[in-house]
Amino acid sequence: MFFLAWRNLSQSRTQFFLGVGGVALALVLMLALDALLAGSEEDLVAYIEQSGADIFVAQEGVKNMHMAASAITLRDMRLAEHNPDVMSASPILYTTSVINTDDGDVLSYIIGFDPDEPLGGPQSVIAGTVEVGREEVIVDDAVARSQGVALGDEVEIMGETFTVVGLTRGLTNIVNSVAFINLRDFQALRPGEAISYALLKTAPDVNVTQIAAAVSARNDNVLALPVPDFSREERQIIKDMSVEILNIMNLSGFLIGLAVTGLTLYTSTLRKRQEYGVLKAIGAKNRHLYQVVAVQASLSLVLGFVSAITLVFLLGIVVPLIVPGMGMRLTQTGVTRVVIASLVIGVLAALMPAWQLAQLDPARVFRG
Amino acid sequence: MEPIMQVEHVTRRFGRGGTEVVAVQDVSLSVAPGEVVLIMGPSGSGKTTLLSMLGGLLQPSDGRIRIGDDVLTELDERHLPDVRLHHLGFIFQDFNLLSALTCLDNVAMVGQLNGMSRKESRQRARELLEQLGLGHRLNFLPEKLSGGEKQRVAIARALVNQPDIILADEPTANLDSHHGQETMRLLRNIAKEENRSVIIVSHDQRIKDIADRVLWLEDGEFKNEVEMSRDPVCGMSVDLETAPAQVEWNGRTYVFCANGCREEFLVDPTRFAKESSGE
Repeated sequence: MFFLAWRNLSQSRTQFFLGVGGVALALVLMLALDALLAGSEEDLVAYIEQSGADIFVAQEGVKNMHMAASAITLRDMRLAEHNPDVMSASPILYTTSVINTDDGDVLSYIIGFDPDEPLGGPQSVIAGTVEVGREEVIVDDAVARSQGVALGDEVEIMGETFTVVGLTRGLTNIVNSVAFINLRDFQALRPGEAISYALLKTAPDVNVTQIAAAVSARNDNVLALPVPDFSREERQIIKDMSVEILNIMNLSGFLIGLAVTGLTLYTSTLRKRQEYGVLKAIGAKNRHLYQVVAVQASLSLVLGFVSAITLVFLLGIVVPLIVPGMGMRLTQTGVTRVVIASLVIGVLAALMPAWQLAQLDPARVFRG
Repeated sequence: MEPIMQVEHVTRRFGRGGTEVVAVQDVSLSVAPGEVVLIMGPSGSGKTTLLSMLGGLLQPSDGRIRIGDDVLTELDERHLPDVRLHHLGFIFQDFNLLSALTCLDNVAMVGQLNGMSRKESRQRARELLEQLGLGHRLNFLPEKLSGGEKQRVAIARALVNQPDIILADEPTANLDSHHGQETMRLLRNIAKEENRSVIIVSHDQRIKDIADRVLWLEDGEFKNEVEMSRDPVCGMSVDLETAPAQVEWNGRTYVFCANGCREEFLVDPTRFAKESSGE
């Protein structure tokens, strides 16, 4: 029966490609958005995870950077640094603003860091210098490419002109980018005593979670989180923002996949009605015919699934080349969700043809 | 000889009350192993309904049909497919081959349904197709075959499970004269050489030549059974009742299709009588 199912499925190449292609496109809808959001998550937390810090210290109640404002004092940072297992504490100032270039504006996190401090600056400079001086800026190369900016060019940030002296890689995402300026410039633009976050480096082989808890316990003004926790909170923001749209896309993909698979199977069964009748007349039982439909549904979905995975994988390579900063990453959760959706689609799509076959009167073969 | 198929007072009605139609009315029939039975009749006479009932595809309203030890009318739809698979071979007017499968796979598939392994069923299918002169067409799709070739594949498919009875619905209707004759010869050989009963429903008068018995179905009833005999000279089948010539010789009656055959017989009766009895 497997052989018959395969031959039935592949008998008409056009129908075969339309069926499998339709399923693949439906599954791509489900997979691509998930991969896009997963890629965005990765890019969004790139600064946090590549900062080299073990603990982020923020204002009490602030657990992330995206769409958040944190203000702590230098005293708060020194208190945290007093912990015997903390080797260093580096301040950063942070805001969300735009980088004005001749080609347009780019939304960006602006990080003010002290080049003399061990942490806070960019960790992935691919051109120029990390030693950013006054009125100098380091931007991401995706922004540089998209805006036609090169080392030595000038850009405007928060009303001031900065010269590009360095380029980073991997700090641009679908939403924004990250730019680094000197801490003193930032303080000049936003006068005040406060800093946004303190980045702590701990001693080797210590329990970072316990140290973060101790820092938080010692000072009611701050919340200290280990980098994995801080990063997870940041990712959660993206998840919370995208859950509705992801659900809509998943539902659309599911319904389209169900419609394509169901329609393909239904028309294929209808077209072969006479032949299935012959099989019944000859002595095939309903379960034999169900097997044919089930195998056809499974083959369509497996081939569609493999095509979809391949397509999304290829998109993951091509898309960032076309749209800088837009990464795609297949996740286990996304793939599992699509596998489950495929199984449900297969079962539902096979129900109608199976019912058709059960109702098929084998005596029709003598009626032509 | 014990009949392989016994049909007793079978009736089939469709509809109820004022719209009731009796398609087959109180039909009885016995078919012996190796016998070729031809059922003829006008359109709408109930031939297809009768054939469907004989094939276990349609249950009679009344009566009983037995094939070997299985009483079809006492079996439900869960068990009837097994009877069809093991005891019956079907040949259809439109050949009804599976269009996606090659000749070999069309035949082998029925063997696999019957529990044969893929290898075993393909071997058996290959042998049958080669016997039927289709060794060079094993891997052809049905669309690439002529009508005669398609019908031979259908015959091979009907034979693959070595059934007791072959049911053929208008087997020559879509064939030209040459292929029609060839199909008739094959069916005759299957009956006589393999001792399988063949029941044919057809309008084709030529099939009378190979039939042992011709039944005339009209308005759902057998009007009369026509006993056929073979002309010992030319081999044609001849209606016993209406034979144009006959001879009593050596205690036996010989019938002829024409006076010419009778005269030829009388020149050397021993020669033709021997051939006839050898047959």
